[in-house]
Amino acid sequence: MKALNNRLGLMALIVALLFALPLLVNDTFILRVATEAIMWVGLAIAFDVIAGYTGYLNFGHGAFFGIGAYTIALLMMKANLPFALALPAGGVAAGIAALIAGIPTLRLKGAYFAIATWALSRAIQQLALNVEWTGGPDGMRLDAYLHPEFFYYLMLVTVGATFLLLWYLLERAPFGLKLKAIREDEEGAKALGLNPTKLKMQAFILSALPTGVLGGIYAYWITFIDPSSTLGDMVSDQAVVMVVFGGMGTLFGPAIGALLIFAFKTVFWAYLSDYQLLYLIILGALIAVSVIFIPNGLWGTLMSRKKAETARPEPVLKAGVAQEEAN
Amino acid sequence: MELLPQALADGILLGGIYITIAIAFSLTYGVMHVIDFAVGEWIMFGAFTGYYLNKWTGLDPFLFMPVIFAAYFVVGYLVQPVIHRVLSGTKGNPFLMGLVFTFGLAIMFKGLALTVFGYYSNSIPSMFSEGAFTFENLGAGVTIPTVRLVGLIYALAITAALHYLLKKTNFGLGVRALAQHKDAAGLMGVNSKRTGSYVYGIYVGISAMTGVLLGCILSIGAQMGNEYTIFAFFVVVLAGMGYLAGVPWAALLLGMVQSIFMIYFNPSHTLLAVFVILYLILLISPRGLFAKGV
Repeated sequence: MKALNNRLGLMALIVALLFALPLLVNDTFILRVATEAIMWVGLAIAFDVIAGYTGYLNFGHGAFFGIGAYTIALLMMKANLPFALALPAGGVAAGIAALIAGIPTLRLKGAYFAIATWALSRAIQQLALNVEWTGGPDGMRLDAYLHPEFFYYLMLVTVGATFLLLWYLLERAPFGLKLKAIREDEEGAKALGLNPTKLKMQAFILSALPTGVLGGIYAYWITFIDPSSTLGDMVSDQAVVMVVFGGMGTLFGPAIGALLIFAFKTVFWAYLSDYQLLYLIILGALIAVSVIFIPNGLWGTLMSRKKAETARPEPVLKAGVAQEEAN
Repeated sequence: MELLPQALADGILLGGIYITIAIAFSLTYGVMHVIDFAVGEWIMFGAFTGYYLNKWTGLDPFLFMPVIFAAYFVVGYLVQPVIHRVLSGTKGNPFLMGLVFTFGLAIMFKGLALTVFGYYSNSIPSMFSEGAFTFENLGAGVTIPTVRLVGLIYALAITAALHYLLKKTNFGLGVRALAQHKDAAGLMGVNSKRTGSYVYGIYVGISAMTGVLLGCILSIGAQMGNEYTIFAFFVVVLAGMGYLAGVPWAALLLGMVQSIFMIYFNPSHTLLAVFVILYLILLISPRGLFAKGV
């Protein structure tokens, strides 16, 4: 109980700090970095719904981000819709894309789903590069709305709400257990009366929706999107690294992975911007190395070690108590 | 319609080359049960090795192909134990991890290639790249560049060699047994570790060697890998997973699609067309063109 209180207190402190951050720092650079860091946390946890919990790797997660971004850009610039109306549409568009993409691909076994989603994201990038209405390789420009605090809070609230929703659905509601059952043994889950196809589809849409919304916020915040920045493989690649490094199948793991990787990226970009390709090598190497040495990710490894530590002293303690009682 | 015979001929010639990659790719999947995301990157590495060897020695790239096969066979043979280790791990989900691992390899290789080779694209000159055969008596003229014809001969030779290896040798029997049932094959005395290493080596070798050929026919660039990974996947899924006999037909279809898009439409829409076809076929028949996949 005390541990729970401590944890709640820590959480409350972190939340309070996050909300007070724009008041504490007056530096737009820091605010900008914080905004993007929060965005990556959101992308990573959304990715983990389908990858970590359901066991279906989506190597084209960036496609949903890009679809959200382009939907918002098109609605705002071509249809003159206000941001508040365009933003939900971005999420819905990503969700519909997941539905359409999921119908055939979710029937495939894990490996094929992974490569099919990856191929889909490459195809969508090509589409955006080649059609007229997205501006092709030149991308799209949005009207600038220069309120960094607004975007910070919007990102924070969106990612916070996503985190709470996912935490409830995956860690507290039966939905999470059902997904894990599919991950561990799809045939077995079917035998228990679950409908894996439907559940996988729900998880896929649940993963795509927040990603699309985040893409939309990103587009309006950065005010310029092009196929390589929003639909390129960088978004998907980084999401994979964050989740694998942090720990698949948890919510805190990807969040921590996202923060660490993004911090590394920011420092790397700041000091070594001439070696951007090196970053790609490091990302790939990091994936390979964490798979070999910490297959449960940073968080998973820490947690299992902690569990092992707390599990051991208990019998000793009980024996001590028993002895005291005997005396 | 004048160009149709030409498009079909190009498609067959190109598809023939894809057969070699796809067979090796699905063989690896059969034995290791993991899709190798780095397939396109092996092709790209092979192509660049051929390119630089040609530049330094001035010899014809076709002469290097056996050397490149041998070199990349060794590379694959040495890389496979790492993948095997990931796959036989007890922590986490080994199967997912294997997939993630090859994905990481692919990213790393692409980064390496972009760093070393840069963004430019090139092609490898060969003694075959000049000449062409022209057939006038087919209603419309069909031109077949010599290099593509040589490519088809190469593809047939490799396919025949793989067929012989799989069907007529003890090693091939072991490979097929492993693909059917790993544990039972192990009980019958098939060393899954070593066989896996050989198969992966053969696959990496063939992919790299085919890369040289693709570099002679089309072009090479550090980012070419993406496209070929998608192609390999397309062929294997279309054929029906694990159904080797379907691979040649699916590869030929892919070649056709690519050449038709090159001639009639915008070649940069090829990937999109490939995906749409794949999508529709999976909707109608998830087990591939012949409904014989797993």
